[in-house]
Amino acid sequence: MKPLNLIALLLFLGGAVWALTRSERTVREIQRGYYSAIQPFLKSGSAIETHSRDFLKEVRHSKDLETELTTIRSEIGRLPIIEARCGELERENAQLRHALEFKQATNFRVVAAQIIRRQPATWWQTVEIDAGMKRGIGPQLAVLSHVDRHPCLVGIIDRSSDDRSSVVLLTDEACQVSAKVEESPEVGILTGQRGLGEGTPLLRLKFLSKNAVLQAGQRVFTTGRGGIFRANILLGEIVSVEKGAEDSEALVRPAVNFGDLGTVFVVIDKSDPPQ
Amino acid sequence: MTRYTIITLLLVLAAFVVQQFVPAFTGWHHSRLLVVQLVFLCAAVTVNQPTMLLLAFVCGFLWDAQFTLGPLGGDAEIYSQPVEAMRFGYSILLFGGMGFLMQGIQPLFRQGKWYFSALLSGIAVFLYLAAEYGFITVVRGSPALSAATVRQMTWTATLTMLLSPPVFWMLSTIAGRCGHTIFPEAAARKRRRSFQ
Repeated sequence: MKPLNLIALLLFLGGAVWALTRSERTVREIQRGYYSAIQPFLKSGSAIETHSRDFLKEVRHSKDLETELTTIRSEIGRLPIIEARCGELERENAQLRHALEFKQATNFRVVAAQIIRRQPATWWQTVEIDAGMKRGIGPQLAVLSHVDRHPCLVGIIDRSSDDRSSVVLLTDEACQVSAKVEESPEVGILTGQRGLGEGTPLLRLKFLSKNAVLQAGQRVFTTGRGGIFRANILLGEIVSVEKGAEDSEALVRPAVNFGDLGTVFVVIDKSDPPQ
Repeated sequence: MTRYTIITLLLVLAAFVVQQFVPAFTGWHHSRLLVVQLVFLCAAVTVNQPTMLLLAFVCGFLWDAQFTLGPLGGDAEIYSQPVEAMRFGYSILLFGGMGFLMQGIQPLFRQGKWYFSALLSGIAVFLYLAAEYGFITVVRGSPALSAATVRQMTWTATLTMLLSPPVFWMLSTIAGRCGHTIFPEAAARKRRRSFQ
């Protein structure tokens, strides 16, 4: 090996060891520095992404219109576009109304945010939202959605910059939630599973008692223990139970449809509201 | 050569910005286009070993800065078995390993046989993902490898590999503009032929 290559290899290994031995705090500072450096690109990139999505929608509309134009006159052909746009606005309006109702109905102090990026990393189940430290969002805050105005857990904030935050989803292996099963004394730890399966991801409710008597369809809620998540947030429902030698585990279908998430709510105070 | 080295470094940094806007292809087994790995692998075969190691360090460091998850906290009494996080910096070693793999067939590349390197870039991406998944399994325990995960790795490697020819073309053009060639032996052969 040439001396220069050997020196380069030693420097590389030294650098790798230095990086591997950084403390958690230093890593967070490095990440903060990195994200503030690329913030301008992210902002302009988000705008480009929105414009291109709008453009693609327009292209799709144009194609529909083209086929219609061959059968009806151009004046009549405009009506479906207007109708489609109205429908779109109506849906958006309904979604926002639901969001507002949820925000008003809930006892939590929440900040509403939009998901702007889905699953940026290969192995981690994460999303990015358009709200950050400027709106009081910081690490380890719970993120909720709602199903029939009932709060459901989406995940937990991992890191925040000024205008963005990264959310570790409930489906990620790293996200652990202390959970209880309704109409049952059973409590356990709910966690996502490694890797991705096809279809809806299932969660695993661990450390249940050995002879847990549970039925498919029973709902699973947060216990409120553990200092992160408040009590009685809906997590999902039991799909099946696997009995082990020392304890039982249950597979749980999440209440939230993670593929269809738009608006989420970050709970900005951890303590339970007064009853 | 110095100009070319600086430009490859800038290209790698640009790849990090581009990577931010490349979505996962949920319809294709959640595969994705690994732009940073692609640019690094293609650049790694065109430079000398010290430069490759510099690029590997920069890529691994920034990759982990982008994606490392922090501890999610919680009361240790309740969450008595926390899921171990991957240590910041592990990607540096993975990038280094991939870089050495690519440099293994550098003699063929220098002869102008870039297609071997293109093929190897796909293999390297697959091995990178497999090694990363292996690391996670070792750190977190309970080995589990589903067919869906293997499909995700295979599709990601294939998609990334398919884009390597344009990147090689881009690097070749940049090298030409810098008065440098990434196929020195092929260029020498060409010169010899033109003299005869």
